[in-house]
Amino acid sequence: MNKITRSWIVNGEPREAEFAPVRRLLDVLREDLGLKGTKEGCGEGECGACTVIVNGQPVLACLMAAGQVEDQAEIVTVEGLEKTETGRILQQAYIEKGAAQCGFCIPGMIVSSYALLEQHAHPDAGLIRESHAGNICRCTGYEKIVEAIQTAAERRAGNTGS
Amino acid sequence: MSPVSTLKTFEDIDCTFPKTLQEALELMADEKTRGVPLAGGTDLMVQWESGALPMPERVINVKSIPELREISEADNEVVIGGSVTHMELRQSSAVRRAVPSLAEAAATIGGFQIQIMGTLAGSVANASPAGDLAPSLLITDGTVTLAGVRGEREVKLTEFWKGYREIDRQPDELIVRFRLPRLPEGHYESWRKLGARKAQAISKVMGSSRGRMKDGVVSCFKVALGSIAPTAVRLYDVEQWIVGQPIHDETLKEAEQRVADAVKPIGDIRSTAEYRKWVSGRLVRLFLEELAARSG
Repeated sequence: MNKITRSWIVNGEPREAEFAPVRRLLDVLREDLGLKGTKEGCGEGECGACTVIVNGQPVLACLMAAGQVEDQAEIVTVEGLEKTETGRILQQAYIEKGAAQCGFCIPGMIVSSYALLEQHAHPDAGLIRESHAGNICRCTGYEKIVEAIQTAAERRAGNTGS
Repeated sequence: MSPVSTLKTFEDIDCTFPKTLQEALELMADEKTRGVPLAGGTDLMVQWESGALPMPERVINVKSIPELREISEADNEVVIGGSVTHMELRQSSAVRRAVPSLAEAAATIGGFQIQIMGTLAGSVANASPAGDLAPSLLITDGTVTLAGVRGEREVKLTEFWKGYREIDRQPDELIVRFRLPRLPEGHYESWRKLGARKAQAISKVMGSSRGRMKDGVVSCFKVALGSIAPTAVRLYDVEQWIVGQPIHDETLKEAEQRVADAVKPIGDIRSTAEYRKWVSGRLVRLFLEELAARSG
């Protein structure tokens, strides 16, 4: 198979990868770029553990052909969150609220939280739940996750004055 | 000695990335460059991985072809490009005005990630009986336009799904756009989906209606249901019967019974045939109740 090369901005840094065009974005991130934070849960688009952000939008890396992510695209994975203020606030709120138990869903979950807060500074509980409906958690019952996101939203708004 | 594996993987699929529709159509025209059109991947990637569909030799990325990503409004219709995503459908004010039930249906597919990835043409071409966008397309009496290098062809949506996972598309054609007559003044649409959960659920039964009441009786009514037959279907007999009727207990009961008698669902992993029959009647009853309430 003829491989293709793509140059992306991954977690703020320029990265280049060479891969078969329909290789899953998940495999390129984990195996080719060594970003193992993104998890494969179901591998069929049901669970959201592989959620990453491409050009500001949360997508499922297990269903995306890496070749479809164009040159110069900006990709954010869970590893990139601590480089951002929103990411750090979310991480702290998740810790304080006990929003992670086994933790397998959390890389995808918190990436969805980040995508939400970057687009909506003041999400209500309904929007928080709807925007995370594609992220399944078998441990927490979601209450603490929702609380963590609400807390993070309040702190973030307080910091930025928005 | 280990057997030589002949199983194909995603790595074995070739892919082309046309930048324009013309370039894509030229690739589709030649058997040597033709590929399976790939947009959001939310159905195809799953089906290839599971083996429900064989891994193709080649795919053509149609996700970012600019001509397929437009939504425009004309006098009496909204025109939606095939690669418009479910998220764009639910957020588009043009779609919400012209075919509100389509925007509502798009908002019930998967979760945000699936809505951001999946496309209108992808959902239509996947042709699952449980495809959530089909009923709202059917009630508009709109069309789908297919293009090949030979030219374009417009097909009525009511004739486009030929059977279970079967559509009226030639191998060299791409689905390019949908022309959907807009909701006329004084008409209302309804949409409901019955699934095990609100999100990430494949429908047990779902449907849409578009109708109007005038002088106390139904003057126009179109209704389509999905997940109750090999394709989503319009219930023409029920539509014809209800026109001219007032909406009250008796007509609602009769409508419910007529719908239950008209649909021939199967039982499967998600629901039983009996439940689907019963709930089909209830859904249409609800649509008529909403029509009456809104028409005030």
